[in-house]
Amino acid sequence: MEKKTEKILDLFRSELIVVNVGPKSFADVLEKQGFETLQVDYKPAAGGDRRMMEMLEYLGGY
Amino acid sequence: MNAAEKVAQANARVMEIFTKARPVWTDVRPALEVVPGMKKNLILHPGPPISPEKLPIPLRTAICGAACHDGLAKNMEEAWEMVLSGEIEIDASQNHDCGNAASQVMSASMPVFVVKDMTFGGTGYCVPHPGSNPRVLRWGIYGPDVEENLSFIRGDLAEVLGEAVRKSGGIDVIRVLSKTAGMGDENHNRQPAASMALALELVPHMLDVDHPARDRVIKEIAANDRFFLHVMMAGVEGIIASAKKVPYSTVMAGMGGNGIEFGIQVAGTGNRWYTTEAPMIEGIFLKPTTTKDDVLGYLGDSCVTEVWGLGGMSAIAGPAYLRMTGGTFEDAKERTEKARAVSLGEHTFAPVPWDDFKGFPVGVDIRKVVGLGILPISHGGSALKTGGQAGAGACELPMECFKKAVEGIYYEIKGEEA
Repeated sequence: MEKKTEKILDLFRSELIVVNVGPKSFADVLEKQGFETLQVDYKPAAGGDRRMMEMLEYLGGY
Repeated sequence: MNAAEKVAQANARVMEIFTKARPVWTDVRPALEVVPGMKKNLILHPGPPISPEKLPIPLRTAICGAACHDGLAKNMEEAWEMVLSGEIEIDASQNHDCGNAASQVMSASMPVFVVKDMTFGGTGYCVPHPGSNPRVLRWGIYGPDVEENLSFIRGDLAEVLGEAVRKSGGIDVIRVLSKTAGMGDENHNRQPAASMALALELVPHMLDVDHPARDRVIKEIAANDRFFLHVMMAGVEGIIASAKKVPYSTVMAGMGGNGIEFGIQVAGTGNRWYTTEAPMIEGIFLKPTTTKDDVLGYLGDSCVTEVWGLGGMSAIAGPAYLRMTGGTFEDAKERTEKARAVSLGEHTFAPVPWDDFKGFPVGVDIRKVVGLGILPISHGGSALKTGGQAGAGACELPMECFKKAVEGIYYEIKGEEA
């Protein structure tokens, strides 16, 4: 039990690198405070257009 | 076979056409003799079909000028009345295996390059590039000087070029592209290397032509570093003519703007257009006094070269064009990477040395554009609303066209199943 707690504490003591999936502005705030961030280049399929997604699936996807 | 399998099989066929086609420039003939569906009272214009009332000024001028050139009307006013009444008909060039760059139009008497794809048999057509004079029909300008140049092209230039090309036994367009690989052309808005290589092949045959205007024609061709573009456009039209006969394919097979609307065509639905408001070309202006308000929306069919992987799609091959229009080497790389992300294949005839010898991406799949949300970037010249060239640059192709195209193919296949 004590070993597991140490592991978690090690994680909190290590350097913080934030992986940001949301808008880049979320990461900007952390960068200004000196933290390193990684921006995930993510877009929802077909821009989130459900009808387009259904048609694309029927046509074999992309 | 389900819809997905039909699409996959069709796309494989279109990619075979796109990557194995062998366009060869074989002749120069009057449009009336060779262009499919051409008639004496028909004038072909760039971009998707448009009603006469909506024509922007440069196209209206070019169409009426062409009508005078062909003797259909005595003057511009009479020509316009005939266009409005339907006595003179207009249609989109790309519905007739032709392309018209910028504000160029094609009338029945105009000479056209005949470029045949020797692998799949399609033939495409395009009028000759009119040279570097800014006062041309190609930029929506008509007057006595423009008429003089049009008459020279229809007469002396067509006669000398036609005989030279026939004497040559045909000029292989891919050989020109291969020889100039790594010479900095992106082959839509920049082609000095390809134009020179073409002149190397052509001039010896032109010297064998016995014609009083031979030397003038040689000078015109040798001094025009954009001459290759219109040969290339005819070559691409011949290739996509075969692609448009492949049902179910989701590969883009045409695009162009008429200044008001921009449209794309998709192989699986042939000459059907998917249109939206014409986007604006962003880049540089030729004159410092030009403002964005002076500029027309996307105009011209020269972007058919991009359908086949040239221009913005292979921007990395011609980074100097980006430098000229306000971009960087990295922008050029990014444009080609975007095209790669949404394309189904790659050309092998002209690897780019500074891009790890990769080829040009080719075959934009509308499903990838919509699914990934990645828009290919097209290069282009921009036109002034009143006629004349405004500048040059680039723009993203509009997503709306690709969404409409996905819908078009979807209902095409669904309709067959019903």
